[in-house]
Amino acid sequence: MKKKMTPGRGLMYVLLLVAAIIFAAPMLFTVVSSLKTKVEIFSEPFSLPDVIQWGNYVEAWTGANMSVYFLNSIIQAGATVIVLAITSSMAAYVLSRFDFKCNKFLMLFFTLGMMVPMHTVLVPVSYMISALGLKNNIPALIMIYTAFNLPFSIIVVTSFMKGVNKSLEEAALLDGASYFQIYKNVMLPMTVPAISTISIFNFLNAWNNILFPLLFINDKELKPIALGLLNFNGERGSDYGPLMAAIVITVAVPLILYLLFQEKVEGGLAAGAVKE
Amino acid sequence: MLSGILSERGKNMLKIKSRKIKAGIMLFIVPALLIYVVFQIIPIIGAVFFSLVDWNGIAGSDMTFVGLKNYIDAFHDPDVILSLKNMAKMVIVSVLFHTPIALLMAVAINSKCRGYRVFKALFFVPTVFPLTAVGLMWYFIFMPTGAFNALLQTVGLDNLVTSWLVNESTAMNTIVFVNVWAGVGYYMVILLAGLTTIPEDLYEAAAIDGASAVQRFFNITIPNLKPIISMCVMMDIIGSVKVFDLVFAMTQGGPNGLTNLPTTLMYNEAFKYSHYGLGSAIGILIMVICTVATFASNFVSAKVGKED
Repeated sequence: MKKKMTPGRGLMYVLLLVAAIIFAAPMLFTVVSSLKTKVEIFSEPFSLPDVIQWGNYVEAWTGANMSVYFLNSIIQAGATVIVLAITSSMAAYVLSRFDFKCNKFLMLFFTLGMMVPMHTVLVPVSYMISALGLKNNIPALIMIYTAFNLPFSIIVVTSFMKGVNKSLEEAALLDGASYFQIYKNVMLPMTVPAISTISIFNFLNAWNNILFPLLFINDKELKPIALGLLNFNGERGSDYGPLMAAIVITVAVPLILYLLFQEKVEGGLAAGAVKE
Repeated sequence: MLSGILSERGKNMLKIKSRKIKAGIMLFIVPALLIYVVFQIIPIIGAVFFSLVDWNGIAGSDMTFVGLKNYIDAFHDPDVILSLKNMAKMVIVSVLFHTPIALLMAVAINSKCRGYRVFKALFFVPTVFPLTAVGLMWYFIFMPTGAFNALLQTVGLDNLVTSWLVNESTAMNTIVFVNVWAGVGYYMVILLAGLTTIPEDLYEAAAIDGASAVQRFFNITIPNLKPIISMCVMMDIIGSVKVFDLVFAMTQGGPNGLTNLPTTLMYNEAFKYSHYGLGSAIGILIMVICTVATFASNFVSAKVGKED
């Protein structure tokens, strides 16, 4: 598509470029600084490194425990995604397909959860954790993540399932398949697009969360990456090079996820918002 | 269609007659319901309870029922008042900048100008990053010897150099700026989705009538996007009330508690100073603010919808 260059279009490009600089500069600065020595970061903040300091990444990865935090987050976010995919699709199957008395009430009940800020429940959750002796308990953390992401997940999957053509399940039902078989062999495969959408969001939410781990994960071997990064900064706040490297490591996974599933991330966001 | 064979009622849904099958089907919803109730609903009830008692945070120690005392204390606490003022600033500035900038970005990107994919990805990508990482990134830029001051010196604006996150008059504004930076792409993507729903021929007809780009923007784009714009604003209000990670990563509420938002204040009160009652009361307050904003948003968008 070729368009004529008018003054208006020229202005638009100038504004876009200014915005692009404001957005790219801090990110670029962080990446470049992560490859510099501490002295270089301060003496020549805007120049490229004389010698690329890969050592900063090694130091962050091994010396500052980032590898452990990274793996913890993969496990915690990954488990959250799986639990949510199963529980929300099972619930959505019932909510989208069967007419019973409290169907509408249950849907509303789940939807209400979207309005609850995590901050509101911090005190009772911390009480529950200490009363039940669940400090540093990762399954408990995954359950809490699951609870807070269930409303969004159920809404998205239910509305998708409502649009799925029923003829296949009806055929299966006539063939004598049980409801569980229909859920597993017919519904689940057809709901993959919705489940993959919620899974990306659920993964990002778990990867980015610090509130709940802050409450009850204080074992350095169990902390997730977003919290581990703050930890690193708290302990060795002047190791600028490795700290910048740690920031890059922390954002790398969300960045890769976004680049791989750009359409899905943007589409899911917009669909969730525009539908409301 | 086979659906006629099965007893179908309601909105295309199956009505289950046998009790046994019904019970079996309800089992499907049990895992989700159980997790949801135990880890979200019970804690909310707990939050109300804890906001009405005086408790030192040690499990098993005495709790005294004090009624609304924690709420009354909260509204007499200068720290709470300050955090509410900071929240108001965060909300107002975010609303003033997020949606308008996002709208301009969305319109520019929707014109499929050269490199629009790169621009879109660049503006959106901070919204998928952990806010702790974003906060820390800007913390290093705004620290006294950081890149921003170095930049100011390079361009000869030495008199503007300050310790952005330590100076009491700039600390909160700096965090508010970072919140605007980190969130704008989110609203851009939503508005972009809205823009694609506006029929192209509206623009073509207007162009034939000789309407300028600016006229088309104000007479076609904005009216058609009204419901989505108002939704963005309301989502922004709720999102800005819930900001926590940025403050936690950049200042931890300092200097002297000046950059506390209700969220960080409730965390500090409860888990640093063991004022669990006061912390819970602030927590409930945050939920009330968000709920009011949500209902207001539904009310406003229903009204906006009717007007059109």
